[in-house]
Amino acid sequence: MRRRGFLRLGLLGGGLLALSSVGLGMWPALLRHAPRRKLELLDEMEFAVLAAVAARVVTQPDADPIELAHRVEEAVRFGAPESQDDFKKLLRLLENGFAGMLLDLRPRPFTRLPPEAQDAALLAFRDSRLALRRSGYHALRRLTAAAYYSNISTWAGLGYPGPPSISVPT
Amino acid sequence: MSAPGGFVDAGTVGTGKKYTPEVCIIGSGAGGAVSAALLTAAGHDVLVVEEGGHRTRKDFNMREDVAFAQLYQEGATRATKDLGITLLQGRTVGGTTVVNWTTCFRTPDPVLDHWRDRHGVRGLTSADLAPHFAAVEERLSIAEIPLADSNRNNRLLYDGCKALGLEATPTKRNVKQCMKSGYCGMGCPVDAKQSMLITYLPDAVARGATVLYRCRIERLEIEGGRVVRARGQVLGGPSGRTPTGEVVVIEAKRFLVSAGAINSPALLLRSGLGGADTPIGRRTFLHPVVGITGHYKDLVEPYYGAPQSIASHALAHRGADVGLFLEAAPIHPVIASTALPGFGDAHRRGMIELPNTAAHIALAIDGFSPDEPGGTVTLRPSGAALVDYPIPPRIWEAFRFGLRKLAEIDLAAGADVVRTGHDPSIEVRSVADLAKIDAAAYDVGRVSVFSAHQMGGCAMGPDPKTAVVRPEDLRHHSVENLHVVDGSVFPTSLGVNPQESIYGLAHLTATRLHASWGQSG
Ligand SMILES: Cc1cc2nc3c(=O)[nH]c(=O)nc-3n(C[C@H](O)[C@H](O)[C@H](O)COP(=O)(O)OP(=O)(O)OC[C@H]3O[C@@H](n4cnc5c(N)ncnc54)[C@H](O)[C@@H]3O)c2cc1C
Repeated sequence: MRRRGFLRLGLLGGGLLALSSVGLGMWPALLRHAPRRKLELLDEMEFAVLAAVAARVVTQPDADPIELAHRVEEAVRFGAPESQDDFKKLLRLLENGFAGMLLDLRPRPFTRLPPEAQDAALLAFRDSRLALRRSGYHALRRLTAAAYYSNISTWAGLGYPGPPSISVPT
Repeated sequence: MSAPGGFVDAGTVGTGKKYTPEVCIIGSGAGGAVSAALLTAAGHDVLVVEEGGHRTRKDFNMREDVAFAQLYQEGATRATKDLGITLLQGRTVGGTTVVNWTTCFRTPDPVLDHWRDRHGVRGLTSADLAPHFAAVEERLSIAEIPLADSNRNNRLLYDGCKALGLEATPTKRNVKQCMKSGYCGMGCPVDAKQSMLITYLPDAVARGATVLYRCRIERLEIEGGRVVRARGQVLGGPSGRTPTGEVVVIEAKRFLVSAGAINSPALLLRSGLGGADTPIGRRTFLHPVVGITGHYKDLVEPYYGAPQSIASHALAHRGADVGLFLEAAPIHPVIASTALPGFGDAHRRGMIELPNTAAHIALAIDGFSPDEPGGTVTLRPSGAALVDYPIPPRIWEAFRFGLRKLAEIDLAAGADVVRTGHDPSIEVRSVADLAKIDAAAYDVGRVSVFSAHQMGGCAMGPDPKTAVVRPEDLRHHSVENLHVVDGSVFPTSLGVNPQESIYGLAHLTATRLHASWGQSG
């Protein structure tokens, strides 16, 4: 029963990714965050969505959403080609006002939402009935947070002193 | 031509290079390295091929981002198909042993008995394995760590268990002159960890073996029931992961696949050994893990000290239900940031508590019930491995039970708040709150799950319909010069951390292989 339920949602989820680009052109993304370096995987629209997510995941004043988005792109490129492709679709799904309308009655593209509404859109992914959207929320959240906290300059703010200095036994 | 000996960067050998060693071992981790050392010592001409780079102590700078990029499969972004389980696995000379947390256990007797009774695995009793475990323990300086040497994260697990009357015991570790920095997961910066990188691989190289790194074996070519050659792609680029277009060909008399659970079955599938009813890639087990964080008034510093030094098997045997074992997990900022729930300010509040946070985990002992088939490894269109592991209701139930127990343990140890890996976060401040854990939702993406112990996918057993290799010599059932020697041959999970089981099994198997090859010439 449970397994069948999962499969059904899984299929619907898979269809969702395929639909992630449908209608995207109707209401174009707001490219508030433009890349600083050459993009290897994402297009400018996907990059702008990712940077907009980063700005909500990491709200520290010193966080630079554009830099975080570049780092996340790098990290995603370690994955299999198919996972990289899924990641692009995930960003399009989040941006997509058509899918947003269908699933959350949220017709505006993610990049055009005010910050509180962006948070609500992320929470709608978190609390979705669709496993794919929940997993997608965690992927975005973890990758952007990891990109931020891998920067040494963030450690002092956590009270993490960093690695000890080591003397190598000979 | 015969390989030159030593650690060799595949990018330096020139495209189209052909090697003709007697034995080609694919993968330089736990299974591959021990096999290489023993076979070389017994006089065999061995070439080990490894897709990762040759990173050593001087590269291990104790930074998570650097370690993930250099030392982990898919830069530590590997996950199951529905992204429900994050899969941590190594990819470097020395394999996952370079990044593991050094906990050592022999394979428990009840597991060996189960394999014999349910999976027909003969010739693998604790008596068969004992001399091999002893030899490995000696070579890797495996010894129990005194309770007094536990860091606070582990000590709290111990104290909490004891307060509840649950068994908890100091573990053994494969270390020598360990300074207990806490950075095992990023590669040991002082070569205290006795990983394959500094033990069995150098042993093999000292006797003439070659370790060819940054070379990924794409497929084995099989003709007339034998592997005739392996084809490798040379990897390069800044990440060391991009195919350079150069190829390496290995025509060996015998092949050992030791690419780890997930990559070993994937290689066999790419080599055309799959088929409608093949067991290859089936019964993949993960010891799926859930965890809690406990907040304490005074410092815990979960990032310093031996990452794991205490384990509890008090919940390992739960009758018909899935058992669990409990351990501590080291957390540094990046891992913490991915493990803590939420985003924005809520996430930040958890992060700034890091120095006062303990992290304890419950590992589900999967694969012991007939209605628990584990996961599968199949191929993506690109040829990369795809792991599917739909978590069955039995394991969700175990997670619920395990999280509740961990929360009780941390409360008993003095935590003022315990949080499970749920998102939205579940906070437990007293025993009365434990019911929240029972009432929580358990499903993909509702609670975070990871795995650092991949097993199975090329199970050993006597029946080719259900097993990939024969137990007595880990030889493929139909390909006569192909063996699989790594964690993928386990018919179930283990209920203990796997490295020593793999070392012991590889040690025993190499001894047997040498004996039988000696006879067949
Ligand atoms: C963070 C972490 C902590 C851990 N802590 C512990 C612990 O404390 N105790 C414990 O017992 N276990 C621990 N483990 C697990 C343990 O280290 C592994 O189970 C064990 O190393 C697996 O051995 P293996 O031989 O099966 O594969 P691995 O050690 O993973 O070696 C396989 C090697 O094959 C290479 N390879 C794969 N495919 C190819 C290919 N096609 N061509 C060439 N090379 C290839 C890989 O790059 C890898 O180096 C931990 C794991 C992780 C990730």
